[in-house]
Amino acid sequence: MSAATLTPPGTAAPARAGVPWTRLVGVELRKQVDTRAGRWLLALVVLVDVALVALYLWAADEAPGWSALTEASSAGQLLLLPLIGVLAATSEWSQRTALTTFALEPRRTRVHGAKAAAGIVLALGITVATLAVAAVATLVGGALHDGAGSWSLDGALLGGLALALVLLVLQGLGFGLALLSTPAAIVAYLALPTVWSLVSALVPALRDPADWLDMSGPLTGLMSGSLTGDGWAQLGTSTLLWVGVPLAVGLWRTARRDVA
Amino acid sequence: MIEIAHLTKRYGSTTVLDDVSFTAAPGRVTGFLGPNGAGKSTTMRVLCGLATASSGTATVAGRRLRDVPNPGRTVGVLLDASAQHAGRSGREVLTLSARLMGLAPGRVAACLDLVGLTAAEADARTRTYSLGMRQRLGLAHALLGEPDALVLDEPANGLDPAGIRWMRDLLRAYADGGGTVLLSSHLLREVEAVADDLVLIGRGRVLAHGTTADLLSAPGTEVRSLDDGALAGALIAAGHDVRPLDDGGLSTSASAEAVGRHALDARVVLLDLRPARSAGLEDLFFTLTAGSAREEVAA
Repeated sequence: MSAATLTPPGTAAPARAGVPWTRLVGVELRKQVDTRAGRWLLALVVLVDVALVALYLWAADEAPGWSALTEASSAGQLLLLPLIGVLAATSEWSQRTALTTFALEPRRTRVHGAKAAAGIVLALGITVATLAVAAVATLVGGALHDGAGSWSLDGALLGGLALALVLLVLQGLGFGLALLSTPAAIVAYLALPTVWSLVSALVPALRDPADWLDMSGPLTGLMSGSLTGDGWAQLGTSTLLWVGVPLAVGLWRTARRDVA
Repeated sequence: MIEIAHLTKRYGSTTVLDDVSFTAAPGRVTGFLGPNGAGKSTTMRVLCGLATASSGTATVAGRRLRDVPNPGRTVGVLLDASAQHAGRSGREVLTLSARLMGLAPGRVAACLDLVGLTAAEADARTRTYSLGMRQRLGLAHALLGEPDALVLDEPANGLDPAGIRWMRDLLRAYADGGGTVLLSSHLLREVEAVADDLVLIGRGRVLAHGTTADLLSAPGTEVRSLDDGALAGALIAAGHDVRPLDDGGLSTSASAEAVGRHALDARVVLLDLRPARSAGLEDLFFTLTAGSAREEVAA
C-alpha cells in the first residue's frame, strides 16, 4: 500500500466539468464488447451473415452481384441485431451494474442515449463486415460461375440497410428497457409482432390496419431498397408502435426507478 | 460534508425512512448502524441518487448528487460489492469507470495497488472472486475518482481479520486527510474501533446520533478500596447509586472527586479509582434497537 495514491480530498479542481456525451458513448461501446457474451453475439451475427451469403451463393445459377449477396444476409440481422440493444439495456440490471453506472452518471436517459448510439455504431460496423463478406462472395461467385457478378451497389439498398439496423437496435433497446429482463425482452420482440400478424390474419376486420402496424413487411422492403411510398408510411406507423412505444415506456420506467 | 435532512421514504403504506436527519463531517469517520431492514441501505441509495425520497434531502457539500457533474469525483460509492458484471475482470471494471470519469491512465493500477489486488487477480473475471476480493475491488472503485467523501455499505463483510484492520487503517488515513466517510456495518467492534461519530437507526428512524466517545461513555466511576463496605455506606448515605462489581470493587454514579472525598472522610484507603467502563457499542446497539421504534433516545 502506498500512501501517495490515497490523495487528500479536495485537491481536484473546484469547478468540475460534467461527463461529455461522447465519452459516455465510448464507455458504453466498450461495455458492449468487453464481455464474452457481447463478443459472441457480434461474432454470431457475422457468422450468420457468412452462412446466409454462402447459402445464396451455393443456390445461385449464375454469378450473383454484390447487391444481391448483401441483401441475402439481411434475414439474420433482422433476428439478431435487436439482441445488441436488449443486452445493452438489460445487463445493467441483471448484473446489477446499474448501481455503479447511475451513481457515476445520474442522468439515466443520457446513459440510455449513449447505449443507443453505441449499439448503432456496432450495427454500422456489422454493415461494413456484411459488405466485405458479400464482396468476397462476389469474387468467389465469379470464379465458380465463369463471369463476374455485378459490382453495382444500389444507394437505396445501402441506405435502407443502415436505417433498418438503427431501427432494430433501438427496438431491442426499447424492449430491453421496458421489460428489464433479457429472456422476456427477446421473447417479446420475437413473438409480439408474430402474434399480431397471426391475430390480424384470423380477424378479417384487423387485416387492413394490420398492414400499417406490421413492421416486418416494410422492414424487409427497406433492407432490400425497394420500399415504395405506401411502404414508407407503413414503416413509419409500425416503427412508432414496435420501436417508439417500447422505447418511451422503457425510458420512462428506468428514469426514476429505484436501483436495488 | 454529507447532510441528510428530514429524509422520508414510503413504499405504498410502508414507511422505510421516517424523518431521518444526520450529518457526516469532513475529517471524520461516521458509523451508520442498525439492524437489517432499518433503512441504512435505502438512505445511502437516496444519497447516491439511485433511489428517490418521498420528502427531505440528502446532499454532499450542499448539493444533491443528481445535480453534481461527474459525481464520481465528489463521492466514492460502494453499495454492494457483489454488484459487478461476472464476465468482466476487476481491472476492466475499474478501467470503464476511470474512462467515464476522465481519469489519468495510471489511476487504475494505483488503486489496484492500494487495495492489494495483484495483477493476476485484477485480470481474472470477477465471477472467480471471493467476497473479500470483491470488497477490495469495490473499495478501489470507490477511491478511483479521488472523491471528497466515501459512502460504503458493509465494506468489511467478507474480509479476514487482517483485511479488516487494513481497511480500518485506510479509512482512518482517508479521513485524516480531510475526507468524509459514511460507513455502515454489522461488525460493531470494527465500527467502534474506527468511527468518530455514530448514527444508530432502527425501523427507519434515527435512534441516536453523536460522537462515539459521548455515546459510549458511561457516567460514574469504578473504585477499589481496602474497605469497600464502609465506602459503599458513605456513598449511599450521600445519595449516590452503588453496586458491587463481579470481580470485586464498586461501581458508583458518583464522580471520581466525590468518591475521593468520601473515602477521605471515611478514612478508607483507595486502591483504584477510574471512570466506569464503557457499556460498549454492542450493549448500546441492542438497548436502542431491541424495543419498538418509539424508544427514541436523544443523543
